[in-house]
Amino acid sequence: MEFTLTYFLLSLLGVCVGIIFGAIPGMTATMAVAVFLPLTYALDLSGALYLLLGLYVGGISGGLVPAILINIPGTPSSLASVFEGYPMAKRGEGERALKIAMVSSLIGGLFSLACLYFFTPPLASVAIKFSSIEKFLIILFALTVVGALSKGKMLLGVFSSFLGVLISLAGTFRDNNQLRLVPQIFRKELIYGFDMLPLLIGLFAVSQMLTEAENGMKSQASKEIFEMKKSAQQFSFRDFKGNIGSMLRSAIIGTFIGVLPGIGGSTASLLSYSQYKSWTKHPERVGTGDPEGLICTETADNALTGGALIPLLSLGLPGDNTTAVMIGAFMLHGLQVGPLFISENGDIWNGILFGLLIANLLMFVIMFSSIKWISNLVKIPPAFLYPVVMLMCIVGSYAINNGVMFDVWTMLIFGVLGYIFTKIGLPTTPFLIGFILGPQLEQYFIDTLKGNQGSLLAFVSPDRPIALVIWGLIAISIGYAVFEEVRHKKSLAAGTTDKNHVSLKDLDD
Amino acid sequence: MEDFFTIDVVYSESHMLFPKIVIGLLIIMGLGLLIPWLVKKIKNKESFSIKGKRFFEENYDKVKFWGGLALLTAWIFFLDKIGFIAASIIFMFLMLVLFQGKLKLKPIITSAAVSVVSTLATWLLFGVLFNITLP
Repeated sequence: MEFTLTYFLLSLLGVCVGIIFGAIPGMTATMAVAVFLPLTYALDLSGALYLLLGLYVGGISGGLVPAILINIPGTPSSLASVFEGYPMAKRGEGERALKIAMVSSLIGGLFSLACLYFFTPPLASVAIKFSSIEKFLIILFALTVVGALSKGKMLLGVFSSFLGVLISLAGTFRDNNQLRLVPQIFRKELIYGFDMLPLLIGLFAVSQMLTEAENGMKSQASKEIFEMKKSAQQFSFRDFKGNIGSMLRSAIIGTFIGVLPGIGGSTASLLSYSQYKSWTKHPERVGTGDPEGLICTETADNALTGGALIPLLSLGLPGDNTTAVMIGAFMLHGLQVGPLFISENGDIWNGILFGLLIANLLMFVIMFSSIKWISNLVKIPPAFLYPVVMLMCIVGSYAINNGVMFDVWTMLIFGVLGYIFTKIGLPTTPFLIGFILGPQLEQYFIDTLKGNQGSLLAFVSPDRPIALVIWGLIAISIGYAVFEEVRHKKSLAAGTTDKNHVSLKDLDD
Repeated sequence: MEDFFTIDVVYSESHMLFPKIVIGLLIIMGLGLLIPWLVKKIKNKESFSIKGKRFFEENYDKVKFWGGLALLTAWIFFLDKIGFIAASIIFMFLMLVLFQGKLKLKPIITSAAVSVVSTLATWLLFGVLFNITLP
């Protein structure tokens, strides 16, 4: 593995831009990665990954700034940081809160990096033994688990993921070269189906612009930013004393949520917060600006990053939607992520680990050393940035297949669709995951049938213990979803709506 | 029993096999979503009219929303008609002015500067440096 100055600069650029995207409410890490993906076209894969990992880590971390200073999470993954962070800022301890959050983010990121390093190779070596049956089932598991954690909207989540699968099937089927699911007039344009990149740029950037335009592109700067008082309690590493246990617990929660396919940062953040509430030794401090709560949420949301890469690099399943977008980078360079990835691309694997390490360290150094400047980021008006982002979206969509106008229209179509999805409550993340994994799901299904004289019983054959285990996992995820659904309905009926659960309802990152 | 669980994969028809299954699943799930919703409506004797329901936020910014959408559509439409640089400078400028919502000299000048600089920078970076085709 080589590490050149170019790679370092790409990582630095990624982290800086990521922090800006993260810190401006309404712009997310996923959006940053989606918009910059086409730019990596001209780089080699390692360079592209240094940039994208920088954007990812920077974007997830940047979200803590507005969460603490103006009570608005900059990205969904900082959702729960507002509960303890903002009260601290109100007390004049903004700087202390920011520093605590930054240190926690760094620890979370490094913890998950270690998990990535230790757990991915063994998982990949199990996955190498997978036949088309297990591969089919593991994708099916990914699609059900996305739905299972859609809190009270399980069926809608699974519906959305299969809708994504259906859209991904449009175009030519590789086996017999027949065109399907394409209207006559678009035969030429859709011969290979919809391209993934314009689709995700539309889903995550254009639809977001429409939502912001609907709200009048209001700048959040009008909100008062509390002065960081000199007299207030200052940051010191003693703040972490006695909180190592909660930190570790949150890091594990974040990494685990990251590993689950398609489940994003808002879940990690909220879950660690609710764990903090039930475990803390000082329940009287909850909600009053308790550093412990902030430590928990920020450790968990950065621990997500490494966790989300584990299933991506071992099974080819994206752990959250930013990593789903990253699949695009591998595709651009003609590489398939899956069980063989690490053994065949040792160099790139090392590059990913190193890139993630550098990104975490750079994120910490940049944010910690320039707090004053970083605090002003939240004042950047989105009205100013969205047109520039649109320019990059258009260029990116156009350039991806070397100049196809239809791709730019695809971006617009899915931008509008994504906007409508959020309006009618259809979650977009499962849709994207379904779209990405759809063609493989079909291929493994057909391969299994062809190899077993068309028998569907092959999927439940007792000769394949791993397949049965995956069936078990699918059953657990559905069972859990049904259990949650019932509990959710009961709590609604009882009128005891948990504040945190309500805020999760409409957020999908 | 064995026959029931067997699907004949016919080569010439295999491209429609999986899509049909997915469409079938979507219909089943769609009904699963629709029927409870209908039952609830009828039970609570709610009306089916869309009156009083809103798709957009209350008092949403009509000008910025529809204007933004129209400008983006026009931007893409004119992209290969009048060229990347011209289309981007014009529509980005209009979008910047629209989103800022103030027809004063200062925002107009900054908008013009931002649109010209970012368009040319993108063109230089992609078109010249990276050699990526632009319209």
